[in-house]
Amino acid sequence: MNARAFAVRAAVAAVVVATAVACQPRFGATLAEPSAGTLTIYAAASLKAPLDAVASAYRRSFPDVRFTVSTDSSAALAAKIHEGAPADVFLSADTESPAKLAATGLVDAPVVFAGNAPAIVVPAADPAAIATPADLARPGLKIVAAADGVPITAYARELVAALASEPGYPADFEARYEANVVSREDNVGATLAKVALGEADAAIVYVTDARATANVRTITLPDDVSVRATYAGAVVLSSPNRGPAAHFLGWLAGPDGQAILGPLGFLPPP
Amino acid sequence: MTSRGASGIAAVGWLVAFLLGLPVVALVARALLGGSLGVALASPAVVEALMLSLATTAVSLVVTAGVGLPLAILLARRAPGRASTMLETLVDLPIVLPPSVAGLALLLVLGRAGLLGPALQAFGLEIPFTTAAVVVAQVFVSAPLFIRSARLGIAGVGRDLEDAARVDGAGEGDLLRAITLPIAAPALAAGLVMSWARALGEFGATIMFAGNIEGRTQTLPLVVYGDFQAGDLDGSVAAAAILVLAALAVLVAVRSFHWQRALDLRAIG
Repeated sequence: MNARAFAVRAAVAAVVVATAVACQPRFGATLAEPSAGTLTIYAAASLKAPLDAVASAYRRSFPDVRFTVSTDSSAALAAKIHEGAPADVFLSADTESPAKLAATGLVDAPVVFAGNAPAIVVPAADPAAIATPADLARPGLKIVAAADGVPITAYARELVAALASEPGYPADFEARYEANVVSREDNVGATLAKVALGEADAAIVYVTDARATANVRTITLPDDVSVRATYAGAVVLSSPNRGPAAHFLGWLAGPDGQAILGPLGFLPPP
Repeated sequence: MTSRGASGIAAVGWLVAFLLGLPVVALVARALLGGSLGVALASPAVVEALMLSLATTAVSLVVTAGVGLPLAILLARRAPGRASTMLETLVDLPIVLPPSVAGLALLLVLGRAGLLGPALQAFGLEIPFTTAAVVVAQVFVSAPLFIRSARLGIAGVGRDLEDAARVDGAGEGDLLRAITLPIAAPALAAGLVMSWARALGEFGATIMFAGNIEGRTQTLPLVVYGDFQAGDLDGSVAAAAILVLAALAVLVAVRSFHWQRALDLRAIG
Protein backbone atom coordinates (compact mmCIF):
# COMPACT_ATOMS: atom_id res chain seq x y z
CA MET A 1 0.00 0.00 0.00
CA ASN A 2 1.43 3.40 -0.86
CA ALA A 3 1.58 6.21 1.64
CA ARG A 4 -1.26 8.18 0.13
CA ALA A 5 -3.66 5.23 -0.02
CA PHE A 6 -2.70 4.43 3.54
CA ALA A 7 -3.36 7.99 4.66
CA VAL A 8 -6.75 7.96 2.95
CA ARG A 9 -7.67 4.67 4.56
CA ALA A 10 -6.43 5.84 7.92
CA ALA A 11 -8.49 9.03 7.59
CA VAL A 12 -11.60 7.07 6.62
CA ALA A 13 -10.98 4.67 9.50
CA ALA A 14 -10.52 7.58 11.88
CA VAL A 15 -13.89 9.04 10.85
CA VAL A 16 -15.55 5.65 11.26
CA VAL A 17 -14.00 5.18 14.68
CA ALA A 18 -14.83 8.72 15.72
CA THR A 19 -18.45 8.07 14.78
CA ALA A 20 -18.44 4.79 16.63
CA VAL A 21 -16.92 6.47 19.67
CA ALA A 22 -19.55 9.15 19.62
CA CYS A 23 -22.18 6.42 19.83
CA GLN A 24 -20.39 4.50 22.56
CA PRO A 25 -20.17 6.29 25.88
CA ARG A 26 -17.91 3.47 27.15
CA PHE A 27 -14.90 5.18 25.56
CA GLY A 28 -15.64 8.35 27.47
CA ALA A 29 -13.24 11.18 26.98
CA THR A 30 -10.32 9.18 25.58
CA LEU A 31 -9.07 11.16 22.61
CA ALA A 32 -6.99 8.69 20.66
CA GLU A 33 -8.75 5.55 19.61
CA PRO A 34 -7.54 2.58 17.62
CA SER A 35 -8.63 2.46 14.03
CA ALA A 36 -8.79 -0.37 11.60
CA GLY A 37 -5.23 -0.66 10.36
CA THR A 38 -1.78 -2.02 11.03
CA LEU A 39 0.46 -0.78 13.81
CA THR A 40 4.16 -1.29 13.19
CA ILE A 41 5.89 -1.89 16.50
CA TYR A 42 9.67 -1.71 16.84
CA ALA A 43 10.35 -3.59 20.05
CA ALA A 44 13.31 -4.58 22.19
CA ALA A 45 14.37 -8.20 21.65
CA SER A 46 13.25 -9.13 25.17
CA LEU A 47 9.68 -8.18 24.17
CA LYS A 48 9.51 -10.58 21.21
CA ALA A 49 7.51 -13.37 22.87
CA PRO A 50 5.64 -11.11 25.36
CA LEU A 51 4.34 -9.01 22.45
CA ASP A 52 2.52 -12.05 21.06
CA ALA A 53 0.48 -12.17 24.26
CA VAL A 54 0.13 -8.39 24.34
CA ALA A 55 -1.04 -8.22 20.71
CA SER A 56 -3.64 -10.95 21.09
CA ALA A 57 -5.02 -9.37 24.29
CA TYR A 58 -5.22 -5.98 22.59
CA ARG A 59 -6.91 -7.48 19.57
CA ARG A 60 -9.53 -9.10 21.79
CA SER A 61 -10.64 -5.56 22.69
CA PHE A 62 -9.84 -3.93 19.35
CA PRO A 63 -10.09 -6.66 16.70
CA ASP A 64 -9.59 -4.31 13.75
CA VAL A 65 -6.02 -3.49 14.69
CA ARG A 66 -3.25 -5.61 13.26
CA PHE A 67 0.35 -5.67 14.41
CA THR A 68 3.62 -5.89 12.54
CA VAL A 69 6.40 -6.43 15.04
CA SER A 70 10.10 -5.97 14.37
CA THR A 71 12.48 -6.88 17.19
CA ASP A 72 16.19 -6.20 17.70
CA SER A 73 18.33 -4.45 20.27
CA SER A 74 16.78 -1.13 21.30
CA ALA A 75 19.95 0.61 20.13
CA ALA A 76 19.67 -0.93 16.66
CA LEU A 77 15.97 -0.05 16.45
CA ALA A 78 16.69 3.53 17.52
CA ALA A 79 19.36 3.72 14.79
CA LYS A 80 16.81 2.49 12.24
CA ILE A 81 14.15 4.97 13.36
CA HIS A 82 16.82 7.65 13.14
CA GLU A 83 17.36 6.59 9.50
CA GLY A 84 13.63 6.96 8.83
CA ALA A 85 12.31 3.43 9.34
CA PRO A 86 8.49 3.34 9.12
CA ALA A 87 7.68 2.49 12.75
CA ASP A 88 4.56 3.66 14.58
CA VAL A 89 5.61 2.76 18.13
CA PHE A 90 9.08 2.21 19.59
CA LEU A 91 9.22 -0.03 22.67
CA SER A 92 12.66 0.16 24.22
CA ALA A 93 14.29 -1.85 27.01
CA ASP A 94 15.73 1.35 28.41
CA THR A 95 14.73 4.99 28.79
CA GLU A 96 17.84 6.44 27.11
CA SER A 97 17.15 5.24 23.54
CA PRO A 98 13.66 6.80 23.24
CA ALA A 99 14.82 9.89 25.18
CA LYS A 100 17.59 10.47 22.61
CA LEU A 101 15.10 10.16 19.75
CA ALA A 102 12.68 12.48 21.57
CA ALA A 103 15.44 15.05 21.98
CA THR A 104 15.90 15.17 18.21
CA GLY A 105 12.15 15.45 17.63
CA LEU A 106 11.73 11.99 16.10
CA VAL A 107 9.42 10.53 18.75
CA ASP A 108 6.86 11.85 21.20
CA ALA A 109 7.55 12.05 24.97
CA PRO A 110 8.50 8.53 26.17
CA VAL A 111 6.09 6.59 28.41
CA VAL A 112 7.47 4.10 30.92
CA PHE A 113 5.44 0.91 30.54
CA ALA A 114 7.34 -1.88 32.34
CA GLY A 115 10.20 -2.84 34.56
CA ASN A 116 12.48 -5.83 34.39
CA ALA A 117 15.67 -7.07 36.00
CA PRO A 118 18.86 -8.71 34.80
CA ALA A 119 19.37 -12.38 35.63
CA ILE A 120 22.31 -14.76 35.30
CA VAL A 121 21.42 -17.86 33.29
CA VAL A 122 23.35 -21.05 32.60
CA PRO A 123 22.46 -23.99 30.33
CA ALA A 124 20.20 -26.53 32.07
CA ALA A 125 23.04 -29.05 31.85
CA ASP A 126 25.33 -26.43 33.47
CA PRO A 127 28.59 -27.64 31.89
CA ALA A 128 30.72 -25.23 33.91
CA ALA A 129 29.09 -26.12 37.26
CA ILE A 130 28.17 -22.58 38.20
CA ALA A 131 26.70 -22.42 41.69
CA THR A 132 26.86 -18.74 42.59
CA PRO A 133 27.38 -15.46 40.68
CA ALA A 134 30.95 -15.43 42.04
CA ASP A 135 31.73 -18.33 39.67
CA LEU A 136 31.43 -15.92 36.72
CA ALA A 137 34.96 -14.74 37.58
CA ARG A 138 36.46 -18.22 37.18
CA PRO A 139 39.14 -18.10 34.45
CA GLY A 140 38.31 -19.96 31.25
CA LEU A 141 34.56 -19.61 31.59
CA LYS A 142 32.70 -18.81 28.36
CA ILE A 143 30.35 -15.91 28.94
CA VAL A 144 28.32 -14.50 26.07
CA ALA A 145 27.31 -10.86 26.37
CA ALA A 146 25.60 -8.28 24.18
CA ALA A 147 27.27 -5.46 22.28
CA ASP A 148 27.90 -2.01 23.70
CA GLY A 149 24.84 0.22 23.41
CA VAL A 150 22.44 -2.70 23.83
CA PRO A 151 20.41 -2.00 27.01
CA ILE A 152 21.11 -5.39 28.63
CA THR A 153 24.84 -4.57 28.46
CA ALA A 154 24.35 -1.53 30.69
CA TYR A 155 22.17 -3.47 33.14
CA ALA A 156 24.66 -6.36 33.14
CA ARG A 157 27.54 -4.00 33.93
CA GLU A 158 25.46 -2.53 36.76
CA LEU A 159 24.76 -6.03 38.10
CA VAL A 160 28.41 -7.08 37.87
CA ALA A 161 29.48 -3.87 39.62
CA ALA A 162 26.93 -4.51 42.39
CA LEU A 163 28.19 -8.08 42.77
CA ALA A 164 31.81 -6.86 42.90
CA SER A 165 31.07 -4.92 46.06
CA GLU A 166 29.52 -7.93 47.78
CA PRO A 167 31.51 -9.50 50.62
CA GLY A 168 33.64 -12.42 49.49
CA TYR A 169 33.87 -11.27 45.85
CA PRO A 170 37.35 -10.61 44.43
CA ALA A 171 38.34 -6.97 44.01
CA ASP A 172 38.87 -7.51 40.28
CA PHE A 173 35.53 -9.30 39.78
CA GLU A 174 34.44 -6.92 37.01
CA ALA A 175 37.69 -7.28 35.07
CA ARG A 176 37.56 -11.05 35.42
CA TYR A 177 33.96 -11.13 34.19
CA GLU A 178 34.90 -9.02 31.15
CA ALA A 179 37.89 -11.27 30.44
CA ASN A 180 35.55 -14.26 30.22
CA VAL A 181 33.30 -12.67 27.58
CA VAL A 182 33.83 -14.68 24.39
CA SER A 183 31.28 -12.94 22.19
CA ARG A 184 29.24 -9.75 22.01
CA GLU A 185 25.96 -10.57 20.31
CA ASP A 186 23.60 -8.18 18.52
CA ASN A 187 20.86 -8.37 21.11
CA VAL A 188 19.76 -10.19 24.23
CA GLY A 189 17.86 -12.77 22.16
CA ALA A 190 21.02 -13.97 20.42
CA THR A 191 22.81 -14.02 23.79
CA LEU A 192 20.10 -16.17 25.33
CA ALA A 193 20.12 -18.55 22.33
CA LYS A 194 23.83 -19.31 22.79
CA VAL A 195 23.17 -20.33 26.40
CA ALA A 196 20.02 -22.32 25.61
CA LEU A 197 22.00 -24.16 22.93
CA GLY A 198 24.65 -25.04 25.52
CA GLU A 199 27.46 -23.27 23.63
CA ALA A 200 28.04 -20.62 26.30
CA ASP A 201 28.57 -21.31 30.01
CA ALA A 202 26.62 -18.29 31.20
CA ALA A 203 25.03 -15.00 30.17
CA ILE A 204 23.22 -12.10 31.74
CA VAL A 205 19.75 -11.72 30.25
CA TYR A 206 16.42 -10.50 31.63
CA VAL A 207 14.42 -12.28 34.32
CA THR A 208 11.55 -12.51 31.83
CA ASP A 209 13.81 -14.21 29.24
CA ALA A 210 15.02 -16.69 31.84
CA ARG A 211 11.46 -17.53 32.85
CA ALA A 212 10.25 -18.03 29.29
CA THR A 213 13.13 -20.19 28.07
CA ALA A 214 13.43 -23.93 28.45
CA ASN A 215 16.96 -25.34 28.76
CA VAL A 216 18.29 -22.54 30.96
CA ARG A 217 18.59 -22.24 34.73
CA THR A 218 18.74 -18.99 36.72
CA ILE A 219 21.51 -18.46 39.27
CA THR A 220 20.20 -16.91 42.48
CA LEU A 221 21.52 -13.43 43.25
CA PRO A 222 22.45 -12.19 46.72
CA ASP A 223 19.40 -10.66 48.47
CA ASP A 224 20.80 -7.15 48.64
CA VAL A 225 21.73 -7.02 44.95
CA SER A 226 18.93 -5.44 43.02
CA VAL A 227 19.30 -3.92 39.56
CA ARG A 228 16.20 -2.68 37.79
CA ALA A 229 15.59 -2.24 34.09
CA THR A 230 13.10 0.38 32.95
CA TYR A 231 11.25 -0.01 29.64
CA ALA A 232 9.95 3.09 27.91
CA GLY A 233 7.95 3.41 24.71
CA ALA A 234 7.25 6.31 22.41
CA VAL A 235 5.08 7.16 19.44
CA VAL A 236 7.05 7.93 16.28
CA LEU A 237 6.15 11.45 15.21
CA SER A 238 6.39 10.80 11.47
CA SER A 239 3.90 7.93 11.80
CA PRO A 240 0.58 8.32 9.97
CA ASN A 241 -1.02 6.32 12.84
CA ARG A 242 -0.10 8.51 15.78
CA GLY A 243 -3.56 8.35 17.34
CA PRO A 244 -3.86 4.56 17.33
CA ALA A 245 -0.18 4.26 18.29
CA ALA A 246 -0.69 6.48 21.34
CA HIS A 247 -3.79 4.51 22.28
CA PHE A 248 -1.86 1.25 22.18
CA LEU A 249 1.01 2.66 24.22
CA GLY A 250 -1.41 4.05 26.82
CA TRP A 251 -3.19 0.71 26.98
CA LEU A 252 0.13 -1.12 27.42
CA ALA A 253 1.24 1.15 30.28
CA GLY A 254 -2.22 1.01 31.86
CA PRO A 255 -3.92 -1.74 33.88
CA ASP A 256 -4.87 -3.84 30.80
CA GLY A 257 -1.29 -4.03 29.54
CA GLN A 258 0.08 -4.66 33.03
CA ALA A 259 -2.36 -7.56 33.46
CA ILE A 260 -0.59 -9.24 30.52
CA LEU A 261 3.00 -8.25 31.32
CA GLY A 262 2.85 -8.96 35.07
CA PRO A 263 2.31 -12.73 34.82
CA LEU A 264 5.22 -12.90 32.31
CA GLY A 265 7.56 -11.61 35.01
CA PHE A 266 7.70 -7.93 34.14
CA LEU A 267 7.67 -5.49 37.02
CA PRO A 268 5.17 -2.65 37.17
CA PRO A 269 6.49 0.65 35.79
CA PRO A 270 8.57 2.18 38.55
CA MET B 1 14.80 -6.03 -34.76
CA THR B 2 14.21 -2.38 -35.54
CA SER B 3 16.94 0.04 -34.62
CA ARG B 4 14.44 1.71 -32.32
CA GLY B 5 13.97 -1.60 -30.46
CA ALA B 6 17.72 -2.04 -30.24
CA SER B 7 18.29 1.41 -28.85
CA GLY B 8 15.44 0.81 -26.38
CA ILE B 9 17.17 -2.31 -25.11
CA ALA B 10 20.46 -0.45 -24.89
CA ALA B 11 18.80 2.31 -22.87
CA VAL B 12 17.33 -0.19 -20.41
CA GLY B 13 20.71 -1.93 -20.22
CA TRP B 14 22.50 1.30 -19.38
CA LEU B 15 19.86 2.14 -16.79
CA VAL B 16 20.26 -1.26 -15.10
CA ALA B 17 24.06 -0.92 -15.17
CA PHE B 18 23.69 2.49 -13.56
CA LEU B 19 21.35 1.17 -10.87
CA LEU B 20 23.68 -1.75 -10.13
CA GLY B 21 26.74 0.44 -9.93
CA LEU B 22 25.30 3.40 -8.05
CA PRO B 23 25.06 1.93 -4.52
CA VAL B 24 28.65 0.71 -4.60
CA VAL B 25 30.02 3.93 -6.10
CA ALA B 26 28.03 5.97 -3.57
CA LEU B 27 29.41 3.87 -0.73
CA VAL B 28 33.03 4.20 -1.80
CA ALA B 29 32.58 7.90 -2.57
CA ARG B 30 31.10 8.51 0.85
CA ALA B 31 33.94 6.60 2.50
CA LEU B 32 36.60 8.53 0.57
CA LEU B 33 35.08 12.01 0.38
CA GLY B 34 33.37 11.96 3.78
CA GLY B 35 36.69 11.14 5.37
CA SER B 36 35.31 8.11 7.18
CA LEU B 37 37.89 5.83 5.55
CA GLY B 38 40.70 7.87 7.07
CA VAL B 39 38.99 8.02 10.46
CA ALA B 40 38.31 4.28 10.43
CA LEU B 41 41.82 3.35 9.37
CA ALA B 42 43.03 5.28 12.42
CA SER B 43 40.64 3.32 14.65
CA PRO B 44 42.27 0.32 16.32
CA ALA B 45 39.04 -1.72 16.09
CA VAL B 46 38.83 -1.43 12.29
CA VAL B 47 42.55 -2.08 11.82
CA GLU B 48 42.32 -5.08 14.13
CA ALA B 49 39.34 -6.41 12.18
CA LEU B 50 41.20 -5.86 8.89
CA MET B 51 44.23 -7.75 10.20
CA LEU B 52 42.03 -10.54 11.52
CA SER B 53 40.22 -10.76 8.18
CA LEU B 54 43.51 -10.96 6.27
CA ALA B 55 44.97 -13.56 8.63
CA THR B 56 41.91 -15.81 8.80
CA THR B 57 41.29 -15.68 5.06
CA ALA B 58 44.95 -16.52 4.41
CA VAL B 59 44.68 -19.62 6.61
CA SER B 60 41.32 -20.48 5.06
CA LEU B 61 42.88 -20.24 1.60
CA VAL B 62 45.65 -22.69 2.50
CA VAL B 63 43.16 -25.11 4.08
CA THR B 64 40.83 -24.78 1.10
CA ALA B 65 43.62 -25.58 -1.35
CA GLY B 66 44.86 -28.46 0.80
CA VAL B 67 41.55 -30.21 1.34
CA GLY B 68 39.89 -29.00 -1.85
CA LEU B 69 42.40 -30.21 -4.40
CA PRO B 70 42.19 -33.96 -3.61
CA LEU B 71 38.40 -33.75 -3.65
CA ALA B 72 38.43 -31.82 -6.94
CA ILE B 73 40.73 -34.45 -8.49
CA LEU B 74 38.48 -37.25 -7.19
CA LEU B 75 35.37 -35.58 -8.61
CA ALA B 76 37.04 -34.76 -11.94
CA ARG B 77 38.29 -38.32 -12.48
CA ARG B 78 35.13 -40.16 -11.44
CA ALA B 79 33.04 -41.68 -14.20
CA PRO B 80 29.76 -39.80 -14.62
CA GLY B 81 26.89 -41.48 -12.81
CA ARG B 82 24.26 -41.00 -10.19
CA ALA B 83 26.70 -41.28 -7.28
CA SER B 84 29.05 -38.71 -8.84
CA THR B 85 26.19 -36.31 -9.43
CA MET B 86 25.02 -36.65 -5.84
CA LEU B 87 28.54 -36.10 -4.54
CA GLU B 88 28.99 -33.00 -6.69
CA THR B 89 25.63 -31.63 -5.55
CA LEU B 90 26.55 -32.20 -1.92
CA VAL B 91 29.88 -30.40 -2.35
CA ASP B 92 28.21 -27.51 -4.19
CA LEU B 93 25.47 -27.13 -1.59
CA PRO B 94 27.24 -24.59 0.68
CA ILE B 95 27.55 -22.25 -2.32
CA VAL B 96 23.78 -21.79 -2.45
CA LEU B 97 23.07 -22.27 1.26
CA PRO B 98 22.18 -19.10 3.20
CA PRO B 99 25.22 -18.37 5.42
CA SER B 100 23.10 -18.23 8.57
CA VAL B 101 22.01 -21.79 7.81
CA ALA B 102 25.65 -22.77 7.41
CA GLY B 103 26.44 -21.19 10.80
CA LEU B 104 23.61 -22.98 12.54
CA ALA B 105 24.59 -26.29 10.91
CA LEU B 106 28.20 -25.83 12.03
CA LEU B 107 27.04 -25.14 15.60
CA LEU B 108 24.91 -28.27 15.58
CA VAL B 109 27.87 -30.37 14.42
CA LEU B 110 31.01 -28.72 15.81
CA GLY B 111 29.48 -26.83 18.75
CA ARG B 112 30.32 -28.31 22.09
CA ALA B 113 26.72 -29.42 22.49
CA GLY B 114 26.78 -30.55 18.85
CA LEU B 115 27.15 -33.93 17.18
CA LEU B 116 30.96 -34.02 17.32
CA GLY B 117 31.25 -31.69 20.32
CA PRO B 118 31.91 -34.37 22.97
CA ALA B 119 34.49 -36.09 20.73
CA LEU B 120 36.31 -32.79 20.17
CA GLN B 121 36.18 -32.00 23.88
CA ALA B 122 37.86 -35.33 24.58
CA PHE B 123 40.85 -33.82 22.75
CA GLY B 124 40.43 -30.57 24.66
CA LEU B 125 39.03 -28.77 21.61
CA GLU B 126 36.20 -26.25 21.83
CA ILE B 127 35.72 -24.52 18.50
CA PRO B 128 32.87 -21.99 18.84
CA PHE B 129 33.86 -18.42 19.83
CA THR B 130 37.48 -18.94 18.71
CA THR B 131 39.48 -17.67 15.74
CA ALA B 132 39.54 -21.29 14.57
CA ALA B 133 35.75 -21.12 14.30
CA VAL B 134 36.10 -18.12 11.96
CA VAL B 135 38.38 -20.20 9.71
CA VAL B 136 36.03 -23.20 9.83
CA ALA B 137 33.08 -21.02 8.83
CA GLN B 138 35.08 -19.44 6.01
CA VAL B 139 36.33 -22.77 4.66
CA PHE B 140 32.87 -24.32 4.85
CA VAL B 141 31.23 -21.63 2.73
CA SER B 142 34.14 -20.83 0.41
CA ALA B 143 35.92 -24.12 -0.36
CA PRO B 144 33.10 -25.34 -2.63
CA LEU B 145 33.83 -22.44 -5.01
CA PHE B 146 37.44 -23.58 -5.36
CA ILE B 147 36.50 -27.25 -5.62
CA ARG B 148 33.99 -26.51 -8.35
CA SER B 149 36.39 -24.42 -10.39
CA ALA B 150 39.26 -26.89 -9.88
CA ARG B 151 37.06 -29.87 -10.81
CA LEU B 152 35.98 -28.23 -14.07
CA GLY B 153 39.56 -27.18 -14.83
CA ILE B 154 41.01 -30.64 -14.21
CA ALA B 155 38.21 -32.37 -16.10
CA GLY B 156 38.95 -30.02 -19.01
CA VAL B 157 42.49 -31.32 -19.37
CA GLY B 158 42.47 -33.63 -22.39
CA ARG B 159 42.29 -37.32 -21.52
CA ASP B 160 44.43 -38.14 -24.56
CA LEU B 161 47.13 -35.81 -23.28
CA GLU B 162 47.15 -37.59 -19.92
CA ASP B 163 47.01 -41.03 -21.56
CA ALA B 164 49.92 -40.12 -23.80
CA ALA B 165 51.97 -39.20 -20.75
CA ARG B 166 51.00 -42.51 -19.11
CA VAL B 167 52.12 -44.40 -22.20
CA ASP B 168 55.43 -42.61 -21.91
CA GLY B 169 55.73 -44.07 -18.42
CA ALA B 170 54.65 -41.11 -16.27
CA GLY B 171 53.38 -42.08 -12.81
CA GLU B 172 50.13 -40.55 -11.51
CA GLY B 173 52.09 -38.16 -9.31
CA ASP B 174 54.30 -37.00 -12.19
CA LEU B 175 51.24 -36.70 -14.38
CA LEU B 176 49.50 -34.38 -11.92
CA ARG B 177 52.61 -32.34 -11.29
CA ALA B 178 53.80 -32.01 -14.88
CA ILE B 179 50.65 -32.09 -16.99
CA THR B 180 47.28 -31.88 -15.29
CA LEU B 181 47.81 -29.19 -12.65
CA PRO B 182 49.86 -26.83 -14.85
CA ILE B 183 47.23 -26.96 -17.58
CA ALA B 184 44.43 -26.52 -15.05
CA ALA B 185 46.36 -23.76 -13.25
CA PRO B 186 44.22 -20.82 -14.44
CA ALA B 187 41.07 -22.59 -13.24
CA LEU B 188 42.73 -23.42 -9.90
CA ALA B 189 43.89 -19.83 -9.49
CA ALA B 190 40.49 -18.39 -10.42
CA GLY B 191 38.86 -20.80 -7.96
CA LEU B 192 41.24 -19.78 -5.19
CA VAL B 193 40.62 -16.08 -5.79
CA MET B 194 36.83 -16.52 -5.82
CA SER B 195 36.93 -18.60 -2.67
CA TRP B 196 39.19 -16.07 -0.95
CA ALA B 197 36.71 -13.32 -1.80
CA ARG B 198 33.83 -15.37 -0.45
CA ALA B 199 35.78 -16.04 2.76
CA LEU B 200 36.60 -12.34 3.13
CA GLY B 201 32.92 -11.45 2.88
CA GLU B 202 31.76 -14.24 5.20
CA PHE B 203 29.30 -12.86 7.74
CA GLY B 204 26.32 -15.04 8.67
CA ALA B 205 28.11 -18.27 9.46
CA THR B 206 30.82 -16.38 11.33
CA ILE B 207 28.50 -14.41 13.61
CA MET B 208 26.46 -17.53 14.42
CA PHE B 209 29.29 -20.01 14.84
CA ALA B 210 32.27 -17.89 15.92
CA GLY B 211 30.44 -15.07 17.67
CA ASN B 212 31.61 -11.49 17.66
CA ILE B 213 34.51 -10.25 19.75
CA GLU B 214 37.19 -7.73 18.84
CA GLY B 215 40.56 -9.15 17.91
CA ARG B 216 39.43 -12.77 18.05
CA THR B 217 36.38 -13.29 15.85
CA GLN B 218 35.29 -9.82 14.71
CA THR B 219 36.16 -9.71 11.02
CA LEU B 220 35.49 -6.73 8.73
CA PRO B 221 31.97 -7.75 7.66
CA LEU B 222 31.02 -8.02 11.35
CA VAL B 223 32.32 -4.46 11.85
CA VAL B 224 30.12 -3.26 8.97
CA TYR B 225 27.07 -4.73 10.69
CA GLY B 226 28.04 -4.07 14.32
CA ASP B 227 28.97 -0.43 13.79
CA PHE B 228 25.75 0.18 11.88
CA GLN B 229 23.70 -1.48 14.64
CA ALA B 230 25.41 0.72 17.20
CA GLY B 231 24.66 3.82 15.13
CA ASP B 232 28.29 4.41 14.05
CA LEU B 233 27.69 4.94 10.35
CA ASP B 234 31.24 6.19 9.66
CA GLY B 235 32.92 3.03 10.90
CA SER B 236 30.40 0.91 9.05
CA VAL B 237 30.89 2.76 5.74
CA ALA B 238 34.67 2.67 6.00
CA ALA B 239 34.82 -1.06 6.72
CA ALA B 240 32.38 -1.63 3.85
CA ALA B 241 34.51 0.45 1.47
CA ILE B 242 37.57 -1.68 2.25
CA LEU B 243 35.55 -4.79 1.39
CA VAL B 244 34.27 -3.23 -1.85
CA LEU B 245 37.81 -2.40 -2.96
CA ALA B 246 38.94 -5.94 -2.12
CA ALA B 247 36.04 -7.42 -4.09
CA LEU B 248 36.88 -5.19 -7.05
CA ALA B 249 40.51 -6.35 -6.96
CA VAL B 250 39.31 -9.96 -6.94
CA LEU B 251 37.14 -9.55 -10.02
CA VAL B 252 39.98 -7.87 -11.89
CA ALA B 253 42.28 -10.73 -10.88
CA VAL B 254 39.81 -13.40 -12.02
CA ARG B 255 39.38 -11.66 -15.38
CA SER B 256 43.11 -11.67 -15.93
CA PHE B 257 43.22 -15.42 -15.18
CA HIS B 258 40.52 -16.04 -17.75
CA TRP B 259 42.40 -14.04 -20.38
CA GLN B 260 45.51 -15.96 -19.46
CA ARG B 261 43.64 -19.21 -19.98
CA ALA B 262 42.28 -18.07 -23.34
CA LEU B 263 45.81 -17.22 -24.47
CA ASP B 264 47.13 -20.57 -23.20
CA LEU B 265 44.45 -22.52 -25.02
CA ARG B 266 45.22 -20.65 -28.24
CA ALA B 267 48.88 -21.49 -27.84
CA ILE B 268 48.12 -25.21 -27.31
CA GLY B 269 45.41 -25.34 -29.95
